[in-house]
Amino acid sequence: MGRTLPSITQVFLQEQEAFSRFRRALRRSDQLVLDDLFATARQHLAAAAYAGHALPFETFLLAMLLEEHKQVMRLRQRLEELLLTQDV
Amino acid sequence: MFELRGWLLDLYPDPQGGVILWFLNQDESGEFRRLRLHQAFPITFYVAGSDQRLRELWHFLRTQPIPVKLARCQRRDLFQPEPITVLSVEVVQPAAQPTLFRQVYQAYPDLTYYDADLPLSLRHAAVYGTFPLARCCLSIDESQEIQELEVLDSPWELDAEIPPLQILSLEPNVDPFHASPTHLYIRSGRYSYCLDLEPRRALLVNLRTILERHDPDLLLTVWGDTWLLPRLLALSRRWRIPLPLNRDTNQEVMYRPERSYFTYGQIIYRGRQVHLFGRWHVDARNAMLFHDYGVEGILELARVTALPVQTVARVSPGSGISAMQMQTALRQGVLVPWHKQQAERPKSALEMFQSDQGGLVYQPLVGLHSDVAEIDFISMYPSIMARFNVSPETVGVERATAEIVPELGVIVDRRRPGLVPQTLRPLLEKRLEIKSRLVDLPPWNPRRKSYKARASAHKWLLVTCFGYLGYKNARFGRIEAHEAVTAYGREALLRAKEAAEELGFTVLHMYVDGLWVQKEGADSVADFQPLLEIIAERTSLPIALEGIYRWVAFLPSRQDERFPVANRYFGVFQDNSLKVRGIETRRRDTPLFIAEMQEEMLELLCKYPHASLLPQALPRLLSLLRRWLSKLNKGQIPLEKVLVSQKLSRSLQEYRRPSPVALAVAQLEAVGKEVKPGQCVRFVYTRGEPGVHAWDLPTQPNPATLDTQRYARLMLRAASTILQPLGIDETTLQDWLFSNAGYCVTPGSPSGVNIPRLPLLDERRQSKLQSGFISSPATQRYSFLTTPDAR
Repeated sequence: MGRTLPSITQVFLQEQEAFSRFRRALRRSDQLVLDDLFATARQHLAAAAYAGHALPFETFLLAMLLEEHKQVMRLRQRLEELLLTQDV
Repeated sequence: MFELRGWLLDLYPDPQGGVILWFLNQDESGEFRRLRLHQAFPITFYVAGSDQRLRELWHFLRTQPIPVKLARCQRRDLFQPEPITVLSVEVVQPAAQPTLFRQVYQAYPDLTYYDADLPLSLRHAAVYGTFPLARCCLSIDESQEIQELEVLDSPWELDAEIPPLQILSLEPNVDPFHASPTHLYIRSGRYSYCLDLEPRRALLVNLRTILERHDPDLLLTVWGDTWLLPRLLALSRRWRIPLPLNRDTNQEVMYRPERSYFTYGQIIYRGRQVHLFGRWHVDARNAMLFHDYGVEGILELARVTALPVQTVARVSPGSGISAMQMQTALRQGVLVPWHKQQAERPKSALEMFQSDQGGLVYQPLVGLHSDVAEIDFISMYPSIMARFNVSPETVGVERATAEIVPELGVIVDRRRPGLVPQTLRPLLEKRLEIKSRLVDLPPWNPRRKSYKARASAHKWLLVTCFGYLGYKNARFGRIEAHEAVTAYGREALLRAKEAAEELGFTVLHMYVDGLWVQKEGADSVADFQPLLEIIAERTSLPIALEGIYRWVAFLPSRQDERFPVANRYFGVFQDNSLKVRGIETRRRDTPLFIAEMQEEMLELLCKYPHASLLPQALPRLLSLLRRWLSKLNKGQIPLEKVLVSQKLSRSLQEYRRPSPVALAVAQLEAVGKEVKPGQCVRFVYTRGEPGVHAWDLPTQPNPATLDTQRYARLMLRAASTILQPLGIDETTLQDWLFSNAGYCVTPGSPSGVNIPRLPLLDERRQSKLQSGFISSPATQRYSFLTTPDAR
């Protein structure tokens, strides 16, 4: 069974690979953060595959953003809860 | 002229003309006998091309010594809108057809050929409705010639009457590729024999007597294809003692050579085959999926595909499904192309992005979850083909009756029933019926085993059916139909997801044809029933609740814990049964003792009804691991259980760096044992160079040289797979087991990922402390794993 198009995981790895020079020049601490960012995008590979976008990196960026925003909302909620308990 | 009834056993061409059929018949006194009958059976193939070339072919065929009847007629090509004019070539002697066709093709390679290379049994099935073990009513004349043949039952009957088959099993006392066998175990019903392989003359004489006395219908062997029968036949020739392996003594035993081939990303090895006449030979080691469905499954496959028993036992289910499609085509007078000519329609790049996709495979929410329902579409892809009429000739055709499915961008002709859906429908119905009967049968009922084997055989046929739609060499394949099926599949799964979310469920995971859902307070079948109904209504595909997990753990990738992977999980259903995917115990290359250890760990966890209680199992799990470790270190694990079995994925010269498998193969080749790509190689890890010892070498490995450290590492890895969802990583586990660290958790520690490790405690004190050691803080830890949005 041949594949005409690379699988979404292959595409993802290619895109990540394309930034290897960028990653190399980063500080070690930043490199780890970058890896984390890519890891979050990986959670939405299925959706990215379904989207079938011609420029997959846009979809991956959006997936990173989505996970970032989830984190922001979670922290905001935590903060509000903490402030509430402090007020009491 | 007289009439008799019987079961069809075997069918093959007679070199003298016509076909030979073997029947199992019960005479007036109730005795069973096997009859060799003869029937005239001309077969036809068709040729299309320009009038000029067809006329030339006509003259060519007239000059050939093989008698033929020629005619010009109209037949339907599946991919053409109108019937086409073809030259029909009727060959009176079926045995001569392959030779004739080869000559014709060599002389006229530019013409298009149809029905040229079909198995004889399929042609017979298309005319008379026969299949292996069909119950038939025959009219026979004095010269044993069949004049009329009527089939009394159908392959779709659920409880067809199975005749009392004589089965003789033959097995050498040891794997001939491992060591030289000395005995042959033989069993038939109540009788069992043990023959010495030496002296050879006695062996042959005794075996001949046994074969004559029991006259088996089925010779069930172990290593019969690859070792036993070729060897026995060679001996029989050398000693000039005829061995009646064939029931038909006019025929020679037929050999098919071994081969290695590459399919679905892996290399497959098929050994040499020995086919008999008038009697079946099945080699349990060389048969496809024998461990899965056994003789019962093979007979069922033969019935529904109409392929000979010996063939169906050895071919992939894909050949079975394509045989069924050919039969449908033959019955409807549709031409079966010899070589496929259907090319793919050109697509734009964007179309390609949209359509060249497989099933939806999600990344699960990694971690441990309680009360999860798994909902599966039943035989999703075949159901889609049957329900939406997806067939190579109905998809992507510009026809008046074709309509476009907007959300998929697929054109499908829904009015004219397609070839593939027509082939699948009875099979799907039979499978559903068997499944629903299985639900009602109590566990002790003897029918269960038979139903299960048959359901499994059907499953393989249905699974491969989809692949054959997109396979470039399949005669009735077409990539657009393949894409349409996955498009329908993705749509159905997304509709199911939407329905689940509308009803307030969290979708934990989706995998092509199944989804895992969870909702606060939902833990009984009735809680999920409304969801099933809505999904069935919105997708119009059959769906079923596979089961409700007490708890299920989705595991992350081995390479990086941050990545979820689709098919690595384990869980326990409410009926206490385990479901395990993608972890070591399921993998063929895991040594047996590690698989056993992992299963023991899972069995232990099975007893806990809720995910939050699992940490209580930790002390017992650890002592279990210690027990296995000490067994390993003391050399108490039998060598058979530390065997690693790996497939040789390419030939030895192609290995750039010698892997353990390659090293083992090199050892075998040094003593003259050849290994082909796709064959499994068994070896043990040893200390020092070269690090492995092939199991099939003449010398046994010395148990004292086992690389216990390497095995301990493998063990640890397998153990940490199970413990990972409990928040324990491999390093922690290592510290616990080897550095004697305790596993206290400081009360109130915020997260469970970094469990504080207190270097302390000798074994004695530890065991005293084990009870109630980790209950409350651990439970706290798990709460974060069970709520998915907190990740």
